[in-house]
Amino acid sequence: MSANFFTNDAIIIERQIDDLPKLVSTNPDELSYIYEIDNCVKWIQNHNFKKVCLQFPDYMLTDASEVAKSLQNRLQQTVYILGDTAYESCCIDYIAAAHVEADAIIHFGPVCFSKPTETTPCLRIFEKYPLDLNKLRLVLTNHANSIIVLDTPYAVHANLIRQTFNNLIVITDDFVHTASSVIIVGNNLRKILNFKLAHKLTEVFYYDPITTTLTNYDEDLKVLKRRHFLVETIKDSITFGIIIGTVSVKNYFSAIERVKKLIRVHGKKYYVISVGKPTVAKLANFLEIDVYVVITCGMNEIYDSRDFYKPIVTPYDMETALNPHWKDSHFSYDFNSYLTDLEISKEDVDNMLDDVSLITGKVRTSVKGMVVEDVGSEVATRESGALALNTNFGAGFLSQRGWKGLEQNLGCDQPDTVSEGRRGIAQGYQNETL
Amino acid sequence: MVNFTVDEIRAMMDKKKNIRNMSVIAHVDHGKSTLTDSLVSKAGIIAGAKAGETRFTDTRKDEQERCITIKSTAISMFFELDDKDLVFITNPDQREKEEKGFLINLIDSPGHVDFSSEVTAALRVTDGALVVVDCVSGVCVQTETVLRQAIAERIKPILFMNKMDRALLELQLEAEELYQTFQRIVENVNVIIATYSDDSGPMGEVRVDPSKGSVGFGSGLHGWAFTLKQFAEMYSEKFKIDVVKLMNRLWGENFFSAKNKKWAKQKEPDNKRSFCMYVLDPIYKIFDCIMNYKKEETELLLKKLGVVLKHEDKDKDGKPLLKVVMRTWLPAGEALLQMIAIHLPSPVVAQKYRMEMLYEGPLDDEAALAVKGCDPNGPLMMYVSKMVPTSDKGRFYAFGRVFSGRVATGMKARIMGPNYTPGKKEDLYEKAIQRTILMMGRYVEAIEDVPCGNICGLVGVDQFLVKTGTITTFKDAHNMKVMKFSVSPVVRVAVEPKNPADLPKLVEGLKRLAKSDPMVQCIIEESGEHIIAGAGELHLEICLKDLEEDHACIPIKKSDPVVSYRESVSEESNTMCLSKSPNKHNRLFMKACPMPDGLAEDIDNGDVNSRDDFKVRARYLSEKYDYDVTEARKIWCFGPDGTGPNILVDCTKGVQYLNEIKDSVVAGFQWAAKEGVLAEENLRGVRFNIFDVTLHADAIHRGGGQIIPTTRRCLYACLLTAAPRIMEPVYQCEIQCPEVAVGGIYGVLNRRRGHVFEEAQVAGTPMFVVKAYLPVNESFGFTADLRSNTGGQAFPQCVFDHWQIFPGDPLEPSTKTYTIVQDIRKRKGLKEGVPDLTQYLDKL
Repeated sequence: MSANFFTNDAIIIERQIDDLPKLVSTNPDELSYIYEIDNCVKWIQNHNFKKVCLQFPDYMLTDASEVAKSLQNRLQQTVYILGDTAYESCCIDYIAAAHVEADAIIHFGPVCFSKPTETTPCLRIFEKYPLDLNKLRLVLTNHANSIIVLDTPYAVHANLIRQTFNNLIVITDDFVHTASSVIIVGNNLRKILNFKLAHKLTEVFYYDPITTTLTNYDEDLKVLKRRHFLVETIKDSITFGIIIGTVSVKNYFSAIERVKKLIRVHGKKYYVISVGKPTVAKLANFLEIDVYVVITCGMNEIYDSRDFYKPIVTPYDMETALNPHWKDSHFSYDFNSYLTDLEISKEDVDNMLDDVSLITGKVRTSVKGMVVEDVGSEVATRESGALALNTNFGAGFLSQRGWKGLEQNLGCDQPDTVSEGRRGIAQGYQNETL
Repeated sequence: MVNFTVDEIRAMMDKKKNIRNMSVIAHVDHGKSTLTDSLVSKAGIIAGAKAGETRFTDTRKDEQERCITIKSTAISMFFELDDKDLVFITNPDQREKEEKGFLINLIDSPGHVDFSSEVTAALRVTDGALVVVDCVSGVCVQTETVLRQAIAERIKPILFMNKMDRALLELQLEAEELYQTFQRIVENVNVIIATYSDDSGPMGEVRVDPSKGSVGFGSGLHGWAFTLKQFAEMYSEKFKIDVVKLMNRLWGENFFSAKNKKWAKQKEPDNKRSFCMYVLDPIYKIFDCIMNYKKEETELLLKKLGVVLKHEDKDKDGKPLLKVVMRTWLPAGEALLQMIAIHLPSPVVAQKYRMEMLYEGPLDDEAALAVKGCDPNGPLMMYVSKMVPTSDKGRFYAFGRVFSGRVATGMKARIMGPNYTPGKKEDLYEKAIQRTILMMGRYVEAIEDVPCGNICGLVGVDQFLVKTGTITTFKDAHNMKVMKFSVSPVVRVAVEPKNPADLPKLVEGLKRLAKSDPMVQCIIEESGEHIIAGAGELHLEICLKDLEEDHACIPIKKSDPVVSYRESVSEESNTMCLSKSPNKHNRLFMKACPMPDGLAEDIDNGDVNSRDDFKVRARYLSEKYDYDVTEARKIWCFGPDGTGPNILVDCTKGVQYLNEIKDSVVAGFQWAAKEGVLAEENLRGVRFNIFDVTLHADAIHRGGGQIIPTTRRCLYACLLTAAPRIMEPVYQCEIQCPEVAVGGIYGVLNRRRGHVFEEAQVAGTPMFVVKAYLPVNESFGFTADLRSNTGGQAFPQCVFDHWQIFPGDPLEPSTKTYTIVQDIRKRKGLKEGVPDLTQYLDKL
């Protein structure tokens, strides 16, 4: 019987874990090249760091111990591995590093270049992907004078490519240029999108080193169009969930405060939610929330996902929808590029026209026109069992739910005979048949 | 020139028994607006000579250019009735003592099916309907549709046979033939009336009867008309018979022999049908004399009839003379006025039986009683049935009918939208009415206040209502019932501004457009596309034009028209579908199956709905659709939006904690029903059965987060295993044409996947009527195609009829349905292909 209270070991071991990028396993010979051990050592020694953290994305963790071992051997000091980052692995995890009071972090793998909150020194070691230079030259022959931008995994090939193409740039955090059209070498579409948006480029081509083709990137139109829908959704919504999706991007706290302010000035309601990495299952627990504002780094793919029960929006969409003075029309996933402090007064909001929702086809119930008789002063009658009748927000929502707690149904249900129930655990009961 | 002043009208408004609120309804091109002119000219608003050409109620430029009414237009007019006619009004509630004046609030409505929502809005605020039928083409599809709607709204009809001039001049019908034609039309109309009402109902006798004077004959274009009352009056002296009795004699199987001065009930060699003899013969004679230029005979005839021509008309001959003579002899305005005043109900009479159809709340509350009694001292109850654009861009007059109390400039009132429920604050505003106005066709007149029983416009409430709503001063008032349209917005186009920077203007314009039309839907899709959905191509064309020129005022790009599809299933799921929650500790077992034919329509029509008592509903379902009663009692919900044509049924036995997850499962069901698995289109006609549920014993592990996404996945698996199909909307299409063109029609219909289900000759005419089902998707350009294939002789009227399964498995890449699904997915920015079953189906 006792075995019934535990999940069978075999099931756990054999369970397929899906939807994860393939784990890397680097050949020991290449380790020092891929992870630039020499560079790391030099950097640590030059700055004389005592406690260094190594941050790996999940799929690189297989190599982590080897890298750490070789660093420790060369440095004769302990280094710490940061695994299972609380939010996104592209951002530098200062919180985890702070646990060991580290004075430096080396970040491996894909990187988002979001402006960090802290000033702890940090070294970024990019991935290194192979690149067939001949094919690249062949495809790009007609574009010799174009500006070519190398994504980080290909930055290692920069010097070789520079021999053929003069206008070569590597994506790094600060980079200024004047052209309106560029060619990006890389296949991380999200990064390309962010690059295009951040630099307000009108035309971007990308060369995919795997398929060796040159494609015009126009997915941004889709992203921008979807904003219209999200803005309408925000205007329709009454209860918002503000999700803390990062603590390492600069100004994340001001962004949260800003969103709160926008919501408050419209007389709507918000809940701040911190659930680590937001997942479909976690967010579906809050039935009363109409829309989620996620404050996170620009590389987070949660914004593109359509699997969530309620729409996910960016602080930018919030500004567009709720700020009557908002004029900026350059969308970006990076809230640092548009974060504002613009004052919005109650009058400004009141002056926003009452209008029709293009989603529900109803008139939007703004707070100002609503009948103000007996707001909140209504005392609940005893029978209803409720404490306050506030029909707009959380409590009002809960009062509409079908399930209000255990019902006795006295006299309604036939008494039943006792029968044998299930046996086992929720993972798989013994008598279950399909 | 106008015979009355606004003050006179205002004074009349208080005499509620002398008010007649009426709409003019008919098939397209049967001459509503033209006929309305006769009344307008009688009121002195336009010159008599111009009546029939002005189409005063066609106020828009495009209406005048296209010669088609697009928007319904209201006009208030004041008339006086002669003493001799007043005696015909016997019901004391139909006339104030000592008052000869009548206030007629008339609404001229469009006849094209695409605009029938305008008719619905007009019918709601009126009590009577003048049904115009072209006596050459007879009762057509739209005549039937609007008449049916009128009866359903408890609107009393009177009939007018228009275009007699054509019957006489073009078709050259013999008198007896013409009588038979009239007789047939009256019968057809009465059959429709009888189908949707019965004489013992609250409205009393509804059928129209020429011998009672509720049927008029004439020509709107030429401005003449009569009822049997006019002729009976002419002859009653001569025959020494009472007018009412004589009217009875002048219609039906009554024959008179001039030789032995005897009436008979049968046709005999020496007698003649009285209608032909005494009504049609004089008219035929005038036509014959004038059109054949028999000058002397004409003069003699005119003298006999007592028609005195004006000096300037004396020189005319031929058609112009005919017009003048007929108009002087039998002025259309007079005949119509009498029909309206005598046979249409006053608000006092009508509201008595209409109240229960109009009011959602308890039928004995203060508001209900005030509406029933048409009480000017009761609480204000006004229904706004549509929005009329003002000259001030973006602002609208809220147009509607005051059913009780009075609405006044500056008064504070509660404005309740269609989603208002008593006790809640949603869709409820309390605002001052800025101004009340009188609608006078293309003009408006400001007016201090409007008492019950009248139609008027309001300024300053347009911001709080989208299309319709209830305005009241009674705190506990419920809404007036929302209108049910006979057409659905099934054709859609995507719009975007030519210049991307104009987008805010487009959005603003779309919002205005949504207000200005009773039925159009302006939607933004998840992909961010702006969509306009309307009843048909013509409707959309007008909407787009309005959007471009009036509402947004920017150049607009539009996509080709597309239809919206629905997702459905054709079999029961071939396997029990299991989905596990993300924590793997909760399992749902479900199956999908198609609903029996007709149930989805029953849900659409509200015959089966979520607010029904579950026992009554279960009995209905088990009797009509053979559903198991215990299962039918456990319908958890309808969806999408809690009301749609899909159901979720609890077929489990003894599952613990099931009630606790019901809200989450319902939420997941609403989500999946709104966005189906194939292309995120709405589901239709799918029944989902929950067979078993296993839940984690710990409440925290079976919360919404675990159940909602799992329900959706399970429902998707159910759909994919139940032979999913897509459904397309289908028009019922009625085409009228001469026999030679019928062949061409079949050709065009075949090419467009249409099929004919009825073909018949219109009795008494050479015209044929072909009825067919045509997929809406194939209807684009149908009218033009049909015309070119029939030499312009066929004219179709298409109205949405039903949804039908598009044959072909959408999961099979070689089928047409697969392509359709892929097109939608592409438009919506979804991943290509159809989602794989393994994403949703779990193994134990």
